[in-house]
Amino acid sequence: MEKYFQKELLEELHELRETYGYIPEEDIVRIAQRRNIPKAHLYGVISFYSMFHLKPTGKYIIKVCDSVSCRIAESESVIDAIIKFTKVTPGNTSEDKKFTLEVAECLGHCGEGPVMTINGEFYTYLTPQKVVNILKTLD
Amino acid sequence: MEKIFLKNDLGLDKYPFKGLRNALKGSPEDVVQKIKESGLRGRGGAGFPAGIKWEYANSIDNEIKFVICNADEGEPGTFKDRFLMENLPEKVIEGIIICAYAVKSNYGYIYIRGEYEKAIKIIKNKIKDLYKSNVLGRNILGTEFNFDLKVIRGAGAYVCGDETSLINSIEGERGRSRIKPPLPIEKGLYGYPTIVNNVETLSAAAEIMKYDDNPYLKMGTEKSRGTKLVSISGDVNQPGVYEVELGKITIKNIIEDLAGGVSNGELGFVIPGGVATEALGPDEIDVPYTYENLMELNSGIGSGGMIVVSNKRNYFEIIKNVSNFFKNETCGTCFPCREANRNINALLNHNKLMSDLTSEQIEIITEIKETIGYASRCGFGQASVNFILSVLEKFNDGRVNS
Repeated sequence: MEKYFQKELLEELHELRETYGYIPEEDIVRIAQRRNIPKAHLYGVISFYSMFHLKPTGKYIIKVCDSVSCRIAESESVIDAIIKFTKVTPGNTSEDKKFTLEVAECLGHCGEGPVMTINGEFYTYLTPQKVVNILKTLD
Repeated sequence: MEKIFLKNDLGLDKYPFKGLRNALKGSPEDVVQKIKESGLRGRGGAGFPAGIKWEYANSIDNEIKFVICNADEGEPGTFKDRFLMENLPEKVIEGIIICAYAVKSNYGYIYIRGEYEKAIKIIKNKIKDLYKSNVLGRNILGTEFNFDLKVIRGAGAYVCGDETSLINSIEGERGRSRIKPPLPIEKGLYGYPTIVNNVETLSAAAEIMKYDDNPYLKMGTEKSRGTKLVSISGDVNQPGVYEVELGKITIKNIIEDLAGGVSNGELGFVIPGGVATEALGPDEIDVPYTYENLMELNSGIGSGGMIVVSNKRNYFEIIKNVSNFFKNETCGTCFPCREANRNINALLNHNKLMSDLTSEQIEIITEIKETIGYASRCGFGQASVNFILSVLEKFNDGRVNS
């Protein structure tokens, strides 16, 4: 029951994600020791969740939805425009560490598609042109 | 045409917590009785009667019990829980506290999907305020009742919407489903009795408790009481979250009268309740929106995530998209779900047109569906082939957009 009053592992990992953009190796070692769980087990947990990364991510993490409703709203052309602009393919980070691109499952803004988030902030009713204009403003 | 019930109190300056006050005036059993009488069914997708669940949780004798609000909304096409959390956060929290009182629990979680940053911020701030105003914490509103509520964020795994996966996830494990029995109500989070309810179910419970009589009894049909939030998207003119009285409106009404009709051509098909439910063709939509009527069509209300697809769309691309979703999101624990969704995906991607699929291949998919239905633990696997197979069966007639 004391577990209820401690920080949950997921919340601890979220905080690291918010600080570093990914979960650094030394923190994995530290958490595994403190929580008395095997490091391999912790890797297993981290890699299960798509919001957690084991490798450094870009300054801007772009998640673009490609689930049914967004697909109907032509998310594919938006994704193509993002790939063309950032020169990053889905699941990867640009060499200059500016962009990480992820094609995500439903982001829950199905009535306003296509949608993407950049570092958690939502952008809706996207078009290829609109998405390029948004990406251009990022430094 | 909207029936405002859950959406009451939108934009209210000061939320009065009338439902909670009423609940605390009676015994936990009184609350259980009222929810049971109301006929409220779980709004997460399965539609299990909430009152029966609460009654069972109430009857279990244990000093420590947990209440979990499932806010891991991730079903494609579904955004009604986000609507509630962003616009009526007090009502959501009120519903959680009422449930806790009814089942005699003092500890709760709201598990919100990590991508819903705005909802997370709103709910976290509200919880902080409500501790200050004594709606949460010790001696709630001057009574003997104590209840603590914490937010935990999901981290991008659709399957955690399954209650047993969600419990594993809170415990810091991979979000894998657990074998039932034991039910979470018997042995759930950290081994303690745990009741899990969806955001909309709890909000409805809070609204029901506001009234001296039982408003749900006067709405809906015998098997589908009350109202349901429908989030509608896809090829419609006015997508959004609409509240409808069950049984008083057809799917056709929802599309044409509430959502402003089909955009981009004529109706091809509609997915009534998220991609876990079977598609309905234009000749099937003049049907009252109820659990029982949609079940007769082998489909369902599901999460209330309605997706409208016009006849100009490429249906085969859409089922491939849904197949990708299930392939990517299976937790991988149950072999039939993991391998079958991968195989279906490969089979679909092997063909360029829907009409290229042979009857033998469709037969294979039909058999796979049956196998997953029997052999996977959670609703994810059991429902994963419904939509795909329904499109293959109903619309594989060699049309150009297939």
